[in-house]
Amino acid sequence: MRPKRINAAVNLMNTPRSVDLAITNQCNLRCTYCSHFTSAGDVGQDLPTEEWLRFFEELNRCAVMDAILQGAEPFCREDLKQLIQGIVRNRMRFNILSNGTLITDEMASFLASTYRCDGVQISIDGSTPKIHDACRGKGNFVRAMKGIKILRRHGLPVSVRVTIHKHNLKDLEDIARLLLEEVGLPSFSTNSASFMGLCRYNAEEVQLSPEDRFLAMETLLRLHRKYNSRINAEAGPLAEAETWLEMEKARQERRERMPGRGCLTGCGGPMSKLAVRADGVIVPCIQMSHIELGRINRDDLHEVWENHPELKRLRERRNIPLSDFEFCKGCDYIPYCTGNCPALAYTILGEENHPSPDACLRKFLEEGGRLPDENAK
Amino acid sequence: MPDTAKPIPNSLVVLREEFDDWAILFDSATGNAFGLNPVGVFVWKCLDGNRTIKEIVNELRENCEGVPEEAEGHLREFIQDLVEQGLAGYETQKD
Repeated sequence: MRPKRINAAVNLMNTPRSVDLAITNQCNLRCTYCSHFTSAGDVGQDLPTEEWLRFFEELNRCAVMDAILQGAEPFCREDLKQLIQGIVRNRMRFNILSNGTLITDEMASFLASTYRCDGVQISIDGSTPKIHDACRGKGNFVRAMKGIKILRRHGLPVSVRVTIHKHNLKDLEDIARLLLEEVGLPSFSTNSASFMGLCRYNAEEVQLSPEDRFLAMETLLRLHRKYNSRINAEAGPLAEAETWLEMEKARQERRERMPGRGCLTGCGGPMSKLAVRADGVIVPCIQMSHIELGRINRDDLHEVWENHPELKRLRERRNIPLSDFEFCKGCDYIPYCTGNCPALAYTILGEENHPSPDACLRKFLEEGGRLPDENAK
Repeated sequence: MPDTAKPIPNSLVVLREEFDDWAILFDSATGNAFGLNPVGVFVWKCLDGNRTIKEIVNELRENCEGVPEEAEGHLREFIQDLVEQGLAGYETQKD
């Protein structure tokens, strides 16, 4: 049986399933590769509590399921508990992305008491204070590790993100041992310092060279096997190693194409998520804070989601063949490539609807990069 | 449950209608999500504490095509599943 009236089939959710909320522009740290400061998301102001609380009611009406609280540093907000209570009241669950240095026993106790916290992600970049603090500032390793300990004591799900850069490249094995064996986390994720925000001004000091990337890929693949896939990644060297090895294998086997590849399909974010900057401006993604779609409590979220031309443009990028780009001309990897992250394409080239040069396998190889041996011990 | 029982949704559960009239029931208290087909969505919207199961079956017959004879039994099973998952309950009966 079926209802007599069926809505016209549109392959888009009615409303975003989750929202990334930059609830504050404040942070107690200035990490040298921070993607926030000096980016379009660095808006120099925070919204009053009431504005967020009013917006959460709209998120409830839109049946949004998850809010990912980030900033800058979410724990800088003195009204964080009020905001979280608003999220809970409006039938959402939440995650928090944090540097971990401001977490108190009292706050962790509160988070646990909500029964709605799906996780707190803490950034750890080294196995020792010297390595972690190289980009994050003195004393912050001890503070962040203490934050993890407090959260775990309250039974909260803690995840760790390791951002790989020049200072911790040779510490990956010890980081894995610290997090997976000593701390006993079920897993952790990795990425790498990307050409965004402050990293653009400190690229020489922090970003990986092609040879560094090779070393990181090789090490992470080995650790990934050693720890039974307890290290994961959606970006950075581990993700690149897995994707690039798959692409190279497809090329060698002369496969016609790989499903979902060959066009700008590298980002599905605009199909399921939206984001809000600290000043209340709605954007497609925190990393694409320059694309302003409207303002909370002024513009209708459902209307923005369904009809904003910029969102439509981003959603339609998946139909743009990589072969249309001069950048990709003559590349053997086109049928196996997704063009990767539009935000990174924008910060490097000023254009979202372009393959990201940073994720280009051909470019990486031309610049002296090597692919790791998939089976190396 | 007696025939006069009137099912009602758990107020913490969110109905997320997706494309093609399918939906997700999201229990914000547990984080669990359950898929609903278009008929399930129709039924969920009838759980307002004012209708008995028999009345909901009548609504189904009026608004859906191809409703089978045994629909009432299926509906009772479906609502019982919702109750067991904590997604719905019954309006308190007045004596």
